Amino acid sequence: MRIKQPISDKTRIALGILGVFMLLVIYSFLSYQQRSKNPNDTTMPNLLQIGHGFKEACTPDLPDPTLQEAFGLEVEKPTLRKKITSTWLYQDLSITCQRLFFGLWWGCMFAIILGLFMGCYKWLAAIFAPSLSFMAQIPATAMLAVFLVLVAKILQWQGEWVYTFMIGFGVLPTLTQSIFIAARDDLHEEEISKAYTLGASNGEVIGNVVLPQILPKILDSIRLQIGPALVYLVAAEYSLAQVGMGYQIRMQTRMLHMAIVYDYLIVLGILGLLMNKSLIWYRKWQCPWY
Amino acid sequence: MSNILKVQNLHQWFGNNHVLCDINFQIPQGQFVALVGGSGCGKSTLLKAILGTNPPKKGNICIGDLPVTGPNRNVGIVYQAYGLYRFLTAEQLVAFGPKLDQTTMFQRLFMPWFWRPLRKKHLEEARKLLIKFRLEKALSQYPKNLSGGMRQRVAIAQALIMQPKILLLDEPFGALDEATREELQDMLLALREENRQAERVGALPPWTVLIVTHELNEAFYVADRVIGLGRNWKDGNLLGEISGATILWDKPAPVCNAGEPRNYELFKEMRNELRQAVIDDNVPIIDRQMHVDQPPPKPDPPKIVVVREDRTKEKS
Repeated sequence: MRIKQPISDKTRIALGILGVFMLLVIYSFLSYQQRSKNPNDTTMPNLLQIGHGFKEACTPDLPDPTLQEAFGLEVEKPTLRKKITSTWLYQDLSITCQRLFFGLWWGCMFAIILGLFMGCYKWLAAIFAPSLSFMAQIPATAMLAVFLVLVAKILQWQGEWVYTFMIGFGVLPTLTQSIFIAARDDLHEEEISKAYTLGASNGEVIGNVVLPQILPKILDSIRLQIGPALVYLVAAEYSLAQVGMGYQIRMQTRMLHMAIVYDYLIVLGILGLLMNKSLIWYRKWQCPWY
Repeated sequence: MSNILKVQNLHQWFGNNHVLCDINFQIPQGQFVALVGGSGCGKSTLLKAILGTNPPKKGNICIGDLPVTGPNRNVGIVYQAYGLYRFLTAEQLVAFGPKLDQTTMFQRLFMPWFWRPLRKKHLEEARKLLIKFRLEKALSQYPKNLSGGMRQRVAIAQALIMQPKILLLDEPFGALDEATREELQDMLLALREENRQAERVGALPPWTVLIVTHELNEAFYVADRVIGLGRNWKDGNLLGEISGATILWDKPAPVCNAGEPRNYELFKEMRNELRQAVIDDNVPIIDRQMHVDQPPPKPDPPKIVVVREDRTKEKS
């Protein structure tokens, strides 16, 4: 088969399923080996135990009715909503999604505006490009302590703003740089000049020419930042939170309930994949020309 | 006839590289002028100066009575590489200019009762123009799905819908095959015919065009007048090789009509003369004024008052 030879859709799907199957087989083999050495080992649970862990994470964490009766309290039959919202998985996932959404939203907004203007105005690029290049080299997780001091002590922000700031600040340098490069290089001088000859103002050139032209690149750049954003969030939750995916992973790891940890990792992976796919669909819908 | 474009004592240089030297010419309303010259002689530099993207180091350029300070809606531009926005369909591309010119971002975002009827009108105008250019099948196509010739026709329609005071064409057909190029040249001649029809009924000719090309046949075929730029000159102690290119040729071109058989024999002699004056490097250096012959002034048009539609933006 020659390089870049096309394959049919059926073949592509079949090969994708084969890849997932191979992963499961390799994991099952390693798990089997580990358990044959020590049958009580929980570090590499088998697929059945992972299933049980998922069931446990989805079990409503409600007060024991017998205890309530013993204390003479009225026992209410929990509603479906109550049952769902009281599961660990729901509580952790909902708060993590909320933090991720707000963090990405603010990070993307600042990055898009700054990157767009940097690409359009050379003097802005001259001011911000060197410091952004420097900041992009420092992993946001390594800056966690600095963030905490900055956010909690100096800015005196409390609660959810810490996570929003962590994600936003984490994705900002890289995202801004990629949007800046797209705005600078993806539009020819000729296209800008032509916009002026069509009667555009500076704002219209940015909003009606540069932004729509680089929108697919912006969406792709955001897609690539979903993974890092999850890293920053889980790292922050791991250290600070009382609820959330990162917090639960830390707690379950301490108790060596690795089945639940693996479940949470799978859920995080699916969450990232769904966000990724949503952005691809959005790009196809908004930019059919790309 | 009033002059639409006035270029006076224009000099342009970049560091030690003197590109243009003492360029002077005017283009009256309704004239089609071809600007020719050898590679790197400064044709595109002059065009950029007229467009306003690279202002000259010395000299003045006026469009109408206003000095050029930057690209604006009075000047239309068509590039060799089309310069079409990838995210718009053909009809949206042509309607893009009126949209930007006649409305503001605020009106488009917050005044739908004002913007929607206008949008319909712009799209309708764009469709009519594209159908006139035989692009009815391309209305909802993105540029990537169009052929080179179709893209260039869309680019010309995009510029023409603005009714610019002058239309600049920068090597517009350079990347096209021979058949498509001839088709588009005839399209330009059709515009020239519109000028003649307007003159016949005593109206002002609507289109003034400056086309930069290295194809001499094309220059003689589509233009009323050919201006040749070259470095092959001397004027006292000044030498073109050092001081930059200047106008070495400025003569009317033979009249050609769209659809008629192309008679290249008609301008063979002029073409050879022009080539010697501005393009060939191996001919003796010529006196600067030798080949410059101002085109005969056209008779004054009848005095009529034309109310031109005001397309200046009503910014709120």
